[in-house]
Amino acid sequence: MIPKDLLINKPASEKIVAIAEEQFKGKEKPLFAVVGDLAVDSRYGEGAVYVTDNRIVAVGDGFDDGFISLDFTNIAEISVKRMYGNAVLKAKTTGGSTLDLMRFTFAVADMCDAVADFITKVNEGETVENRFAAVEVTFRNLRSFCPKCGRKLASPTSECLNCKGKKKMVSTLYRYIKPYMGKLIFCIFLSIITTGAALVPPYVTSMMVDNIIPNRDKRMLVIIILFLLGVYFAQYAIGALRSYILRVAGDGIIADLKKEIYAKAQYLPMKFYDKTSTGSVINRVNSDTTVLQQFMLRITQEAVVQLFMMIGIIIIMLSMNWRLTLLSLIPVPVVVVCSRFFGKKIGPLYRRIWRRGVAISSILADTIPGIRIVKSFSKEEKTIKKFSYHIDDWMAEDKKVAKVAAIFPAAITFLITCGSVIIWFVGGKMVIDTPDKLSLGVLVSFISYTSMFYTPVNFFANLSDSYQNALASTEKVMDIINAEPEHDFGKGSEMGVMQGRIEFRNVNFSFDRSKKVLNDINFVIEPGDVVGIVGTTGSGKSTLINLLMRFYDDYEGEIFVDGVNIRDIDMSYYRSQIGYVQQEPMMFRDTIFNNIAYSLPGAHPEQVLNAADIANAHGFISRLPDAYDTMLGERGVGLSGGEKQRLSIARAVLKNPGILIFDEATSAVDSETEKLIQDAINRLIRGRTTLMIAHRLSTLRKANKIIVVDKGNIIEFGSPEKLMALKGKYYKLIQIQSMSEQVAAEKAAENFE
Amino acid sequence: MSRNFIDGNEIRITVKDKIFCDVEFFTGEKFENLEPRRLFPVSGLSEYITFLDENGEEQFIVRKLDNMEPLQKELLLGCLEEYYRIPKITRLISRSEKHKIWLWNVETDRGNYTFEIINHIQSMKMFYDKRILIKDGNDNRYEIPNIYELDKRSQKLILPDM
Ligand SMILES: Nc1ncnc2c1ncn2[C@@H]1O[C@H](COP(=O)(O)OP(=O)(O)OP(=O)(O)O)[C@@H](O)[C@H]1O
Ligand SMILES: [Mg+2]
Repeated sequence: MIPKDLLINKPASEKIVAIAEEQFKGKEKPLFAVVGDLAVDSRYGEGAVYVTDNRIVAVGDGFDDGFISLDFTNIAEISVKRMYGNAVLKAKTTGGSTLDLMRFTFAVADMCDAVADFITKVNEGETVENRFAAVEVTFRNLRSFCPKCGRKLASPTSECLNCKGKKKMVSTLYRYIKPYMGKLIFCIFLSIITTGAALVPPYVTSMMVDNIIPNRDKRMLVIIILFLLGVYFAQYAIGALRSYILRVAGDGIIADLKKEIYAKAQYLPMKFYDKTSTGSVINRVNSDTTVLQQFMLRITQEAVVQLFMMIGIIIIMLSMNWRLTLLSLIPVPVVVVCSRFFGKKIGPLYRRIWRRGVAISSILADTIPGIRIVKSFSKEEKTIKKFSYHIDDWMAEDKKVAKVAAIFPAAITFLITCGSVIIWFVGGKMVIDTPDKLSLGVLVSFISYTSMFYTPVNFFANLSDSYQNALASTEKVMDIINAEPEHDFGKGSEMGVMQGRIEFRNVNFSFDRSKKVLNDINFVIEPGDVVGIVGTTGSGKSTLINLLMRFYDDYEGEIFVDGVNIRDIDMSYYRSQIGYVQQEPMMFRDTIFNNIAYSLPGAHPEQVLNAADIANAHGFISRLPDAYDTMLGERGVGLSGGEKQRLSIARAVLKNPGILIFDEATSAVDSETEKLIQDAINRLIRGRTTLMIAHRLSTLRKANKIIVVDKGNIIEFGSPEKLMALKGKYYKLIQIQSMSEQVAAEKAAENFE
Repeated sequence: MSRNFIDGNEIRITVKDKIFCDVEFFTGEKFENLEPRRLFPVSGLSEYITFLDENGEEQFIVRKLDNMEPLQKELLLGCLEEYYRIPKITRLISRSEKHKIWLWNVETDRGNYTFEIINHIQSMKMFYDKRILIKDGNDNRYEIPNIYELDKRSQKLILPDM
């Protein structure tokens, strides 16, 4: 029978369940099952495999009876064949025939891997309980989604950082405004004064027309003029003060925004950077923040001011003549409807523009640092062309926005003008017909107020344009601010000096589902071991190290250091205990001294000199005219590959780490420098657990253990002597290399003769 | 080492197990169980097809399929179609967002399906101003051969993100 709580990725259809139930009529129970999403003909459909402790039952339309059952003992080989956008679970029987058990997209590939692994390992003699535990982990990982937002969690028990850190757009923006609230409120206060002042002159006009001029009151005229002058002066003086304060506050907001995005970007996982172009990050820090800040100011300042103005004017107009006031409000609903329509129209256009802006930044971020390559292939023209193409593309898109953005305000303004024309007409008639109800002065000032009234209306109508633009930018900024940072569940849990015992347990990893990069990695490294990692290029050596460095943490399985799961150790403490010399050494635009001291800020100069000495770098540095003060270019321009390599070793030395990792530390240098670097390494590794990736096996003389990686699997592990005796891959590699060395030596000898 | 480029009319293939085929040259040379793969799965669907043996070693490359016998060409393309599964989206039935994850419900030439996209900018790419390639959250791929041939509603939903 099929247990109710069967481990399964999703409910199977009734048809499949019926066939499966037929199969498991008796006592026999399947341990777990996987439901696929493709039919044999590669259309979307359904199939399933049920696995017990001794057989696998595949159900699907492709089989003659709707199913097929295979005992483990009849399976010679079972594996997942990944194709392009789909994969097949294939079994080879001991009889020699191959069977496709199920076809599926990459959405279920991980689980089918687990099926294949389960059967293979059980056939190899591992216990069912053990392997089933591994399958459970895979299923649990799959199921560990946040109940609120549906995102995949780092581990089933962990809290969803996405939900926890998620803030609504408004509240996020509010956070940036908050520190400047005092200033902003003061500014609003100032602008209410200026708005009030702006409302005075039309009123004065009506006094002039109705009283002062008909009464020939010169004294009053002078008073009024002086008063007006005072009002104007106050209006502009306060205006100046306000724009100063506003600018300072605005700068503060934008500075905070930029700092925060940059800070946040530092803590984003490698996965983010694998997928996101540098250009789009630069774009977000630089231009999107500006758009956002402008929008925030618009909302907090102008919007408030305009609102006050609108209310003020309506009150004054109502007090003057309510009929005319209502008349002048006629176009307002039309304007509102129009601006909503306009917002819908222009919003998507801004998203398209944003995308093009990113394309442009990406080219910049790509080609300017790569200018050497551009030049060396004489591709200046082509680069310019490509850039121009994208700029033109952007321009074409902006033209579309320009059209909409130009027509709309014009249309609005026209509507508004219509409104005031109505006032001219109706008001004029009223003054002619019933002068006692509406005086000429009131009409003149009313018309001024009407035209003033439409400034705020216009403003709110156009707000949707800048709102849509800001929305596009906000989304992108939020992308970073709300992104999940690297998981640091063990924050604060440090463990003193690291001994350096490293254990990988059932580790599986893939960058994306289309290809498995590491497959069931298991090994133990004891403290003080010097371990050589060898294997053909692309076999997964650096990836192994990436996992150990916790650059990627969505692997399956567990990694322990000194018996503690590395996920439970404080991240920055953990990394500080590991000296990592990368395959491509990276320097910053700074002095050599600072580049070395990067790993230990505040290091004593002698410590740095010492580190450089151990790394065999002191010699060449001291011969530079500016020695340790030599300024390096971006990414370390100005040094040779081997020199950079030695600086990065010095960096690692200075850190005095418990675990050392060298990824091809001697790949880019001549044999003399290699010897220098090798000496440096040898001095460094004494007593420390060391992992060394090397293509030249001669650099691994000090190694007491060797890991041979092939296509993501560890195929050999043990002492060099043991592996030599095994006569496997390592033996072969040694043979090939010593042979070529021998040939080289012979050639050299010939040349001397 | 030079690659072994050949023309489509130099070989005869027999498809064995969907994506595997046996190849016989007119010179009489025979290969068994080769896997044809595209060297340009995105930009060149019927040119530069490489043939790999069981160890993934390339045996030869067929430059163009055009001068293959039509029947042969069909066989080979069928073989490739089995391997490269890129459903063509014919309609976007619905699209919804929940917590930054987009759920696309689509009609394709291989049936209806629902998939997730985490980030539109990274997951969608437009070529030649009309062809769109999509990669979902599970790294499955989809294609819209010509966005302007889809219905207006689908266009309206998709184009703003391009
Ligand atoms: N960021 C990434 N995204 C996707 N795939 C990657 C990424 N980095 C590496 N890969 C792939 O993973 C596989 C293993 O890469 P890795 O860098 O671990 O190889 P390696 O053994 O260090 O090779 P080498 O000796 O050349 O340094 C390769 O096939 C590579 O294409
Ligand atoms: Mg590497």
